[in-house]
Amino acid sequence: MSPEPTNLLQGTLDLLILKSLIAGEMHGLGISRRIQQITGGTFVVKPGSLFPALHGMEEEGWISSFWGESENNRRAKYYRLTKAGRKQLEAETKRWGRITWAIAQALEAS
Amino acid sequence: MPLLVKVRSFLRNLFLSRRVEVDLDQEVHSHLEMLIEENIRAGMPPHEAQRAARIELGGVEQVKEQVRDSRTGAFLDSLLQDLRFALRQMRRSPGFALTAVLILALGIAANVIVFGVLQALVLRPLDVPHADRVMDLQPKDGSPFLSYPEMRDVRDNNTVFSAVAAVEVQEFGLEANGVTRPVWGCEVSGQYSEVVGIKPFLGRLLQRADDDHPGASEAAVLSWPAWNSDFGADPNIVGKTIRLDKHPYTIVGVTPEDFHGTEKFGQSDICVPMANEASLDGINWLESRSHKNLFSVVRIKDGVTMPQAQAELNTIAARIARQYPKEEEGLGFKLARPGLIGDFLGGPVRGFLAGVMGLAGIVLLAACANLGSLFAARTADRTREIAIRMAIGSSRWRILRQILVEALVISIFGGACACGLAWMALTGLASWHPSTKFPIKFLVVMPQPSLILIAFLISVLAGVLFGVMPLRQIFKTDPNDAIKSGASQSSAVRRWALRDVLLAAQIALCCVTVTAAFVSLRGLGKALTMDLGFNPKNAIRTQFDLTQAGYTSDAAADHFQRQLLERVSQLPGVEAAGYANTTPLSLYQTVTPVYSQQSVDFRPSNKAFDIYFYHVSPGYLAASGTPLLAGRDVSFTDTAKTPAVAIVNQEFARRLFHSEHAVGRYFKNRYGVSIQIVGIMADGKHFTLSEDPEAAAFFPISQGGDTMTSLIVRTHRDTADIVATIREVVRDLDRAVPIEESGPWNSQLALSLFPSQVATVALGIFGAFGLLLSIAGTFGLASYTVSKRLRELSIRVALGAQAKQILSAALGRMLILLASGSVVGIVLGAAASRILSAIVYQASAQDPFVLASVVFTTVLTGSLSVAGPVRRVLAADPASLLREQ
Repeated sequence: MSPEPTNLLQGTLDLLILKSLIAGEMHGLGISRRIQQITGGTFVVKPGSLFPALHGMEEEGWISSFWGESENNRRAKYYRLTKAGRKQLEAETKRWGRITWAIAQALEAS
Repeated sequence: MPLLVKVRSFLRNLFLSRRVEVDLDQEVHSHLEMLIEENIRAGMPPHEAQRAARIELGGVEQVKEQVRDSRTGAFLDSLLQDLRFALRQMRRSPGFALTAVLILALGIAANVIVFGVLQALVLRPLDVPHADRVMDLQPKDGSPFLSYPEMRDVRDNNTVFSAVAAVEVQEFGLEANGVTRPVWGCEVSGQYSEVVGIKPFLGRLLQRADDDHPGASEAAVLSWPAWNSDFGADPNIVGKTIRLDKHPYTIVGVTPEDFHGTEKFGQSDICVPMANEASLDGINWLESRSHKNLFSVVRIKDGVTMPQAQAELNTIAARIARQYPKEEEGLGFKLARPGLIGDFLGGPVRGFLAGVMGLAGIVLLAACANLGSLFAARTADRTREIAIRMAIGSSRWRILRQILVEALVISIFGGACACGLAWMALTGLASWHPSTKFPIKFLVVMPQPSLILIAFLISVLAGVLFGVMPLRQIFKTDPNDAIKSGASQSSAVRRWALRDVLLAAQIALCCVTVTAAFVSLRGLGKALTMDLGFNPKNAIRTQFDLTQAGYTSDAAADHFQRQLLERVSQLPGVEAAGYANTTPLSLYQTVTPVYSQQSVDFRPSNKAFDIYFYHVSPGYLAASGTPLLAGRDVSFTDTAKTPAVAIVNQEFARRLFHSEHAVGRYFKNRYGVSIQIVGIMADGKHFTLSEDPEAAAFFPISQGGDTMTSLIVRTHRDTADIVATIREVVRDLDRAVPIEESGPWNSQLALSLFPSQVATVALGIFGAFGLLLSIAGTFGLASYTVSKRLRELSIRVALGAQAKQILSAALGRMLILLASGSVVGIVLGAAASRILSAIVYQASAQDPFVLASVVFTTVLTGSLSVAGPVRRVLAADPASLLREQ
């Protein structure tokens, strides 16, 4: 059974999108499903949050887009990581590691 | 290169917006299609698959809007959209737009104009270097004048001022290129140039050496405007000789163009050293402590604080008072901001301007309330539109922003018009010159570019102010409800809305301005018809100073004056003629203390009271129309050899003897001379029209000669004709006498009426504007209410309601608002009018005439503005109306 879907924390969506794109280029729905899969169904990304995030990240230069064919021969817009995006992913990953470590510390403290 | 990427996307969003839009649309749709396919693959029937996909997507338009909001430059883009929409809205209802712009233009213009004057007269420092160190030095209370020795004591015994100077404004007969004409000049003491600290435009300024001793130098400095207009901007002016009151002076320099002296009203044309005053004024007052006739300006040393300067002034004043107990008892000094004769004019002017500024603010506030309620009404009309926009993905903030942009566009249009209006008004005011001989000009109020900024700020403020009024309406709009019930949701018993309160507040504010306008109008009316104690109608006043023609002795002046009187009296059509050194309500007023007959000690604290005094010739009483109530007129047989006599007014007699039967009784002047009262005259006005009755006395001019001459001629002949004849007679007697002014006495009194005229014009405009606003506001809201409920009302008519019932249903609330707003406004206005009484004669709102006028006006405007809607209600034909909708 899958856990309850949880609301995304501020700033985690970008990280998750970057992470899911590391496996290769993907269209919007693919990214959404990938996130759902890698978080074990904890996070469900609605298009209303996904698309603004994708477009924002594209404007930041972390990802780039192009039109391609979907697995069912449908025209779809694909996204892939750029160099800047990889760097951003590294930085974000480190930052996230620090945060989780700090939170864990805080929760363990008596 | 993230920045580069960002800029590229910004430009792309801005210029390739159509492609970006198409791209986005395709992307979202392809996403939807994929979702549907996914669902079908999962085994859903096609219909169900589509539904589930749509639910997951959450609305194509909403998603697109969310993406748009996240784009770089999204704000700018949607702002432009809002702007375009706002302009379209204005084009669609030009009537509303025009009214709104007009109302705002007037409201903002009023504020900008008043602010412009306030800035010029009060806020802007003098045009001198380090203006914050320059102050006026004045006696602690009462008149703003110092005597020369007082100024000298401060100058020579202080450690806090880098320079101290005295200025006396003086009229000279200036003879240049063979023509003599009166000009305004000033005598300045040696450190004047150091106090103002300016650099000369040409040549040099007056220096300490010029003022060292009488006759030390015959140097004169021209002002830039005089040099420019009267001397043809002659670049070789330095070194040229002119004559002032027959004395030769050499022009040594010209002050810079932007220097306007230390006072903001007007400017003198020429400056000469004060040391030479005896030769110019005819009397020597440089050593007299009782001859207080100087303005004093000081420059405070750097690093010295105001309290330090004041403390030292206190010490100096105390020392002077100890040293000269007779003349200087109770002396005190204070520093006041320069520009308006320190606190003397500065106090009232600042007070009045602050009051008018407040009124202008009220008017603008009323205009905003007015537009706010119109906006709120319009927003209510647009409930359905707003609901639809929300339903298809617009956020509340976006809608609010759009309405704010609309409000701002209107108010900035208004502000632009207001700028034009204010510019014209201030330029007009700057070139305006009240009809007096005094060099009063408001050059300083020339509009400054900074006013545009002020106008812009006020417009934005106003726009936001009335733009946010429909805020609540937008935020409580529920798209579901609004679309279902449409715009006609207003039930018969609606709650009191914000716009009702606004309307009442606005009516109250407008009533305040109307009341103020009526009070000052009434005051001015009274001032025009009030008893002055003399009758300026049918009287010609001719004024000149014989010292300007070289008469230095009183005997010579007396000879000339008597000859003139004789010649003038014999002119055909002259009923009476007489002369005096000065006349009541002219700017030359002199005050002296009087003592009771029993007094032996003549220090200031022992005086009975101060009186205004005049030296008059026989016949002056008749010529000026001053009623002689008892006793006799003065006579040329009253001379220095006969006992001193005087005619006193009723107030004088009442104060000294507690009775008006004073003929034959005595009082003493400050030299201890006993003076017998030979006549009683009626009370009158001497200094200002708003003063309380003051004691005054006329002394025979043959017992105290004076070179200053005001000739009064009473005649029914044509004014221009008699003025020309009098000028001819004067010229015939001595060509060198420069006549300062000659004309109907009435028009020369204009200066006395000036403050109340200014007040009345200003308040009248505000009053009219307030009325306009309240009519517009009431009419707008009344017709809105009626049109909203016309359908419901016609049902009532169809069911047999009477006209009265219909009216009370339709406009009952309106009338309650009108009435309560008016009552509050009148009460507030009456309270505010107390402030006016300082400027306008007998301004009082307790006057039944004023109250009646205000109430009448309010009722009239109220009925006018609801008349249209009322007619519409009564004429409503239920049958056709109900069929239509």
